[in-house]
Amino acid sequence: MSGMMNLSRRAFLRAGGLAMVSYGLDPLFLARAVYAQPAASSRSGRVLVCLFQRGAVDGLSMLVPHGDGHYYKERPRIAIPESAVIDLDGRFGLHPALAPLKPLWDEGVLAPIHAIGSPDATRSHFDAQDYMESGTPGVKSTADGWLNRYCQHQREHEQTPFRAVSFGPELPRILSGSAPSLAIGDLRAFGLRAPNDAARDRITRAFEALYETAPTGLLASSAQEGFEAARTLRRIEPERYQPEHDARYPNGRFGQSLLQIAQLIKADVGLEIAFADVSGWDTHVNQGAEQGQLATRLGDFAQALAAFARDLGERMNDVVLVTCSEFGRTIAENGSVGTDHGRATAMMVMGGPVRGGRVLGRWPGLEPAARFEGRDLAVTTDFRDLFAELLDRHLGASSLAAVFPGHAADRGRYLGALRA
Amino acid sequence: MNIAATPKVAWSMLAMLAFAVNAPGTGAVATAEEASRTDARPAREALAASDSARHVLQRFAYGPRGGEVAEVAREGALAWLDAQLASGGEGDPRLAALERRTPALALDPDDWARRFVAVRRAAREGMAGEERAETRELLGQVRALVVTRAVAAEDQLREVMAGFWFDHFNVFLDKGADRYLLPSYVEDVIRPRALGRFEDLLLATARSPAMLFYLDNVRSVAPATQRPARGGAPDRPASRRTGINENYARELLELHTLGVDGGYTQQDVIAVARILTGWSMRPPARGGGFVFRPGEHDFGEKVVLGTRFPAGHGEEEGVRLLRMLARHPATVRHVCAKLCARFVSDVPPDGCVDAAVAAWRASDGDMRQVVRAIARTPEFWAEGAIDAKVKTPLEFVVSAVRALKAEPDSSARLADAVARLGQPIYRQPSPAGYPERQEDWANSGALLARMNFAMALAAGRQPGATVDLDAILPLTADRSALVDAVNERVLGGAMSAHTRSVIVAELADVADPVRGRALAVGLALGSPEFQRQ
Repeated sequence: MSGMMNLSRRAFLRAGGLAMVSYGLDPLFLARAVYAQPAASSRSGRVLVCLFQRGAVDGLSMLVPHGDGHYYKERPRIAIPESAVIDLDGRFGLHPALAPLKPLWDEGVLAPIHAIGSPDATRSHFDAQDYMESGTPGVKSTADGWLNRYCQHQREHEQTPFRAVSFGPELPRILSGSAPSLAIGDLRAFGLRAPNDAARDRITRAFEALYETAPTGLLASSAQEGFEAARTLRRIEPERYQPEHDARYPNGRFGQSLLQIAQLIKADVGLEIAFADVSGWDTHVNQGAEQGQLATRLGDFAQALAAFARDLGERMNDVVLVTCSEFGRTIAENGSVGTDHGRATAMMVMGGPVRGGRVLGRWPGLEPAARFEGRDLAVTTDFRDLFAELLDRHLGASSLAAVFPGHAADRGRYLGALRA
Repeated sequence: MNIAATPKVAWSMLAMLAFAVNAPGTGAVATAEEASRTDARPAREALAASDSARHVLQRFAYGPRGGEVAEVAREGALAWLDAQLASGGEGDPRLAALERRTPALALDPDDWARRFVAVRRAAREGMAGEERAETRELLGQVRALVVTRAVAAEDQLREVMAGFWFDHFNVFLDKGADRYLLPSYVEDVIRPRALGRFEDLLLATARSPAMLFYLDNVRSVAPATQRPARGGAPDRPASRRTGINENYARELLELHTLGVDGGYTQQDVIAVARILTGWSMRPPARGGGFVFRPGEHDFGEKVVLGTRFPAGHGEEEGVRLLRMLARHPATVRHVCAKLCARFVSDVPPDGCVDAAVAAWRASDGDMRQVVRAIARTPEFWAEGAIDAKVKTPLEFVVSAVRALKAEPDSSARLADAVARLGQPIYRQPSPAGYPERQEDWANSGALLARMNFAMALAAGRQPGATVDLDAILPLTADRSALVDAVNERVLGGAMSAHTRSVIVAELADVADPVRGRALAVGLALGSPEFQRQ
């Protein structure tokens, strides 16, 4: 392990280190080399997994306010019948398709949050996703994502190419920025392609030789990180991975993403931030109730989360998983037996450090006077307060002001999602 | 030439002489104009003609075509650029043929609007709809065209500038109606003005439904009290919606004109938003074109940057505002700095920005003059600027296809490859457009993906392009001769001694000359040198 952890430090020394300053070359390369300072992390091994439900999930179907009469009045065709709701605390219950998550609630490692969202009232998917990923609602020109800013400002973490990984073909906005982060579509396919292992080793050696010259700066260090990552992945043999404890991940990209996150966590390659997204929540038409379009997606979602927790077993003590979505949907069903773009939605936190078995947040109520613009569930928790709590209390972030500029950190606003 | 060792006093002279001059031994001949400018130069310290040629082709074009560096070195780097600046965009049969084979270009804004309405109706009724699949195909053509034009166009500078302006005035393909508004935005707003005056471009983008929708100006409505007494646009009753939306106003100041440090306040943003209330679009069912809606306009008095816009004015005060912004010193400096970041260095040198600003002032924002001035600054020709920028994924893919003189097909596969390398075309959600700095592109996963692309393209396995290495390189068992040819024809002379020795060594046990050639080309395209421009 230590060989890999020291990678960037080695690359830095190889490149001539501080001698480069006198040439005034590539200050960014030097900035990145700073990330490779010897590890002083007090919380090594802790992982934050962020899952984005793109398309605005209907929080009122995920976390059903079955104690609120307006819910049934406004949704005659798509409400989840009282008899089908998996009751949690007498007021709120899970959608029946989320049944795989109920044992996690019972164990006290799952906490749903209702009425959470953005202070910016846009109902545009594009804008709202952008704000939730930049971490700066209302400010479009923010260049980087908040997860990347966390990595930029929290440099004592051991440097590995796997510190921040997004599962998907492209690096999402939330992880883009000057701190190194990796987008991986499939662990099994990462690295250089060749018809067979021998050919791949050979071509890898050739490219490594091409990039090892000093001082080509950022390109050299990034490429070397990539080769190191590919080498590590070959060693952990992702194609032979078997989930433990009978965990069964659903087929499809999202389930496979969670499987691969679990695999990286168990491989101890230094993963601290993992991100994956899943779409299909924009249910304007024929949303369904206890069965139907949304139920199918929720079922898949819950199965993947439950398999992840099961697979990780004891390692879940180091992991906090959070789900988010850009906004929620209208309280009332629309003319197409679906729902339109609304305001607040529901999110979930899960993991060993979670103080679960409780529904978090302040419920604003569904009565017309309590609604946002008379129609939508009002936002009572700013999503940044949840994310800030997780960065602060789980990962030990010390620079929240830089991660969420313009949003003064205030522990008084934390939801108490994590155990002290 | 070692910059650090060069005395400062020699700097300006040296750099001035550096453009388009010829190193001894290249046998190239300077044009008369260049010769007169480069009298008495110390040739020993100047850039080699091939380096000058590669430099202009890497910055003002999407990289040299295989063998083109030698041609431009003979002609003179600045002579090539002047020809690009003088070209009117006609007489490019290859580009014309390419555009003819693209059905999406035959659609006008009305056709796209009809498509939007049809697809939306089908979606509402829960039907798949044929139009939907067709539209996806047409939009694939629109994305493909970015790559194929950049590869094929003779007027390379125009393509580069069109790309620069699209990023400067970015819109996002996947935001609602922009899917249908973007094609005309590209063809009718950006491209015709790529080498025109900045003010014309700014006004055209401000009147474009694609921009007004993307940045929510269509939702920006004056409070009822500020609307005319007998309100109501001719085609629509006064809107029930009220309230200004500051999105466009903010980005107009921050990104399109003054820049984030341009000295404006939140009060200025609000005033700009109020001035632009009513700048809107017709419903897609009525063509989706630009319309000014007096019924949504704020006719009150406003003050922007200390300038008073008196009460009682409609659309014309917006035009006055945009003209004022286009000429504002902060705007000129901001846009010139971006151009210098694109053409010279990620951190634009002051001297270069000053020269661009002076040319802008002298020409009233004529982009040809500004580009011309940038190319004549010492900073552009400084040795530290040559091969100093990291290519974006689009620049990498296009320059590789050009270097091999490969033929792109009409599919979106190369555009998809650009997306997989991290730059999906027309799909940058941020209004800031794609970034220009190297740290945004040099991430490890993307670099490995570039190496894979390089190997696949060289071996003729990359979908979307047909490669014929016979057309640019000899088939030879002489490894040294092969690698030298690859350096000259594919890398334009940029290959380092280290890269050369690695490639030569890799060829040692490859007996088949066809495989050897593909390997040498793949390694060259995947080398650090080819990631830079």
